[in-house]
Amino acid sequence: MKKLLALALCALLAISCFAFASAEEELPTFDQIVLGENTDLAADIHFVYHRTDLAGDDGKLAGYVKQFQETYPNINIEYELITDFAENALLRIGNNDWTIMGIPTVDKDELPNYFIPLGSLETLDGLYNFMSSWAYDGTCYGIPSTAAAQGVLYNKRIFQEAGVTELPKTPDEFIAALKLVKENTDAIPLYTNYAAGWTMGAWDAYIGVAATGKAEYMNQEFLHAKDPFTPNEDGTGPAAVYKILYDAVANGLIEEDYSTTDWEGCKPMLNNGEIATMVLGSWAFTQMRDAEGGEHPEDVGYMAFPITIDGKQYAPAGGDYNFGINVQATYEQKLASMYYLKWLTEESGFSYSEGGLPIAKDGEYPDLYAAFEGIDMVSDADALPGEETLLSELNSESELNFNAGGNTKVQAIVEHAFNGDESFEDIMAEWNQAWSDAQESLGVEVNE
Amino acid sequence: MSTSKSASYVPGGRRINWQKVAVILAFGIVPLALLIIFTYVPFAKMIQFSFYNMSYTKNKGFVGWQNYLRVFGKSEYVGAMLLSLYYMAGAVVQLSLALFFASILSLEKIRGAGFFKSAMFFPFLVNGIAIGYIFKFFYTRGFVLDTVLQAVGIPLESLPYWLRDQSINNWSLVFTSLWKYCGQNMILFIGAIASIDPTLYEAATIDGANRWQQFLHIILPGIKTVFMLNLILSITGSLSAFEPAYVVAGMGANGTATFFIKIHQMAHVSGKVGQACAMAMVLMVLILIFTAGQRLFFRFAMKDSDNTFSAKSNKAKALW
Amino acid sequence: MANNTTSVTASNTSARVKRGVIKFLEYFALIFASFVALLPIISSFMISFKTNAEYASTNAMTPPQNWLNFENYRQVWVDGDMLRAFLTSFSVVVVVVIVSVMMGSMLAYVLNRFAFPGNNLIRNLFMIATLIPGIAMQVTTYQIMKNFGLLNSIVGYMILMSGTDVISIYIFLQFFENLNVALDESAVLEGCTYFGVFFKILLPLTKPAIVTVAVLKGVGVYNEYYNANLYLQSNTWRTISTALYSFSGPFKSSYNIICAGVLLTLIPSLLIFLFFQKQVYAGLANGAVKG
Repeated sequence: MKKLLALALCALLAISCFAFASAEEELPTFDQIVLGENTDLAADIHFVYHRTDLAGDDGKLAGYVKQFQETYPNINIEYELITDFAENALLRIGNNDWTIMGIPTVDKDELPNYFIPLGSLETLDGLYNFMSSWAYDGTCYGIPSTAAAQGVLYNKRIFQEAGVTELPKTPDEFIAALKLVKENTDAIPLYTNYAAGWTMGAWDAYIGVAATGKAEYMNQEFLHAKDPFTPNEDGTGPAAVYKILYDAVANGLIEEDYSTTDWEGCKPMLNNGEIATMVLGSWAFTQMRDAEGGEHPEDVGYMAFPITIDGKQYAPAGGDYNFGINVQATYEQKLASMYYLKWLTEESGFSYSEGGLPIAKDGEYPDLYAAFEGIDMVSDADALPGEETLLSELNSESELNFNAGGNTKVQAIVEHAFNGDESFEDIMAEWNQAWSDAQESLGVEVNE
Repeated sequence: MSTSKSASYVPGGRRINWQKVAVILAFGIVPLALLIIFTYVPFAKMIQFSFYNMSYTKNKGFVGWQNYLRVFGKSEYVGAMLLSLYYMAGAVVQLSLALFFASILSLEKIRGAGFFKSAMFFPFLVNGIAIGYIFKFFYTRGFVLDTVLQAVGIPLESLPYWLRDQSINNWSLVFTSLWKYCGQNMILFIGAIASIDPTLYEAATIDGANRWQQFLHIILPGIKTVFMLNLILSITGSLSAFEPAYVVAGMGANGTATFFIKIHQMAHVSGKVGQACAMAMVLMVLILIFTAGQRLFFRFAMKDSDNTFSAKSNKAKALW
Repeated sequence: MANNTTSVTASNTSARVKRGVIKFLEYFALIFASFVALLPIISSFMISFKTNAEYASTNAMTPPQNWLNFENYRQVWVDGDMLRAFLTSFSVVVVVVIVSVMMGSMLAYVLNRFAFPGNNLIRNLFMIATLIPGIAMQVTTYQIMKNFGLLNSIVGYMILMSGTDVISIYIFLQFFENLNVALDESAVLEGCTYFGVFFKILLPLTKPAIVTVAVLKGVGVYNEYYNANLYLQSNTWRTISTALYSFSGPFKSSYNIICAGVLLTLIPSLLIFLFFQKQVYAGLANGAVKG
């Protein structure tokens, strides 16, 4: 009953907002904006953002403004860059002292109160990546600034020397590639970084999108799944992720002494071809490439996680801050902001130069993602209303702690595989048991 | 008069001595308040929480003995408990070595005694986190320990992987504990031996007693109290051992997670405060049982030293 | 006769040989034990002078090419913000030692010198507290610290480190029991207040107990890391333990630099130990024997 009431209220609010907007003059949607038109548009834009590293009169952002003004000389853009942006933005979100802002952590149903709609999710999703993160009720309220995707670090030269001509796409291909590396080169096929702990927890990042191809898996289906860790015949699903690790260890495809791995030491090793692969997020790429003592930065590569679902590979990806436009701004400001954001997204190369994934579907991939073309980038969908905290509760109850510091369970896989004292199926059965018990004790509905 | 020791100044007869009240309040309130806030309140809460299913932010209700049953129901926890046997064995070796070196340094004229004392004691002053780094490097394949062992002629192939092989890694960790505390125990024993009346040795020498006999009949009885006290503390400390596994093996990875580390993970990784409290209660009860048991044993074993194991023996606890 | 003499000399010689062998074994044991105790530290010391390339290419026990290569130390000092960490740690040690000494001596004075209702109760409360293993209560202590808003607060950490201290109270209680009551009685008769008696007469006499508490608490607090890791996670209040700990993590340093950090943290301990060796030994021994 309460939910219904709240829904009705929200709808009313949304309608009134639309009504208010349409009372002036209809704004075009983001997809209808055509760059190069309307060049005499005049407005002052106040842009609030967190990238203080790009500040200054000769900083990167100022450069973008200058470039934009070559086409739109009458649109003035003033950047305000704030260090503790997350808090500051929340305080100011209801004010009229900004025009464009990186959307802070507000509840989605509040989006229409602060930001203008950019268009329907259906339309924009076809043109841009990661549009769903700030969409509410089928409407988008923000467009991502930059984005990142998760995969596997590898050394290109070693793969070549080993005879791995095509990047592995399935767990079997991956293990086969590691075996080739072991046979044909001196490199460690897969470096686990076991001792650091958090590096093992990093494997959890692939059990959602990468293993299932579904945006809804991690935060929605997983919570209600019955025995999610039962290994699938076709090498997909959460178990497939950990199976790769287990098999790599069991086949002797990892470092000799995993208990004393050295995180700092591994960086130049990957760079120099002493290590062939490491399973880590894209943030680690630049560290490996720029590692001190590393002599072959050009050999450091990044590939999608080797699981293929119905012939397709998926990479878990997510947008950084999304840009939103103030609902209280004037019509000219809103329109001018749309032109600027469209230009920023499609023509400025902002995301590319920041090492991020393209936001526009036809955008350019930075070197890091050279191997990601043709791979679907999907970001995790949010939890369903009322289940926002369920994943963390299940994590805690099951003590498995996926993507939440559950390093020891992944370390245990390495130990059992190495010592041969427990089969992979038994480990997964234990996890299933823990997950089922947690679901039961929290009264979670389980889908067969 | 509630105490016997303090009959000192009562000049004003029965009249309330306000200065005295002021001094008692001023000097007593802060330590007492801190004791209550940081010992008794947490203790009471620990008992209470152990019966609830709760996290740091949410309390999901009373669950009776369920948390306790789970502690004993999981072989994982019993196994973690059993790890303390390694540390107990280590404690016995550690104290024996400490006593051995303390006797040599006290009985014999040793050149460079000061240096030996300092060298063996110094590890006690090393920061725990530093110990983590130092020993990880020490045990890494082909690094410090392996190099030294190879230098004395042991081929690398016949050496184990000190932290990887689960048959030996707990011993490796126990050694780091021994490394840190042996010298400190030795200093304690030297202090205790020094307080033995020196004329006893002279008398013994005249009687023709050799070093071994002196050790057996003079030193051992003379430092029995301190020795047993430290033995009790070490063995009790073994039950809650966590330092080596926490800092050297990276939070108890690779089968080195002691019961205390399990408590830590339960509370701070999984956020199950109620469960962690029940585990802590079990640990505490075990420690109390062990302490009481050992005291009874020693009281029985050496009837003459009854009084030494009074409640005050916890003095040296800070050393653990 | 002659036979007799030889046999005596022979037995003397064999006794001397035996003593010599024993002496040799004793020295051997001592040298071996010292070597084992120092080896891990010496190896870290050598590594701390190696360059990155040298560290990667040479054996762990190979001495560094340049014993004066302080680059790693400089880097740790600057990047690790070690000065701040040292200042924080020193402040914590000083405050906690002073607070522990003051609280311990004051409470011991009150409990030992005055009869008042509740005296025994308080003694018992402290005695029972020693039986509860503090380590088991870390979970609920964390919650209390959280409720008081003392997470990530240096004051909170100081309070915790001094507030959970029962040992120093015991050491002082023990000490006061051996201080003659006649001392303060005569002072009181001369018109001195109780406060005056405590601060002017008794406190200076408790110097040995103060040394013991300072040694026990000082070493313990300076090297404490469990609570520091738990309660001081922000960069503002790093102790040497948390600063050292922060060298391991996603964006951190290589081992030769970490060793420089380890050695840096050892310097204050080493200096204090060298200058106050007797007091440190005596302090430890007192803390254990008198009890």
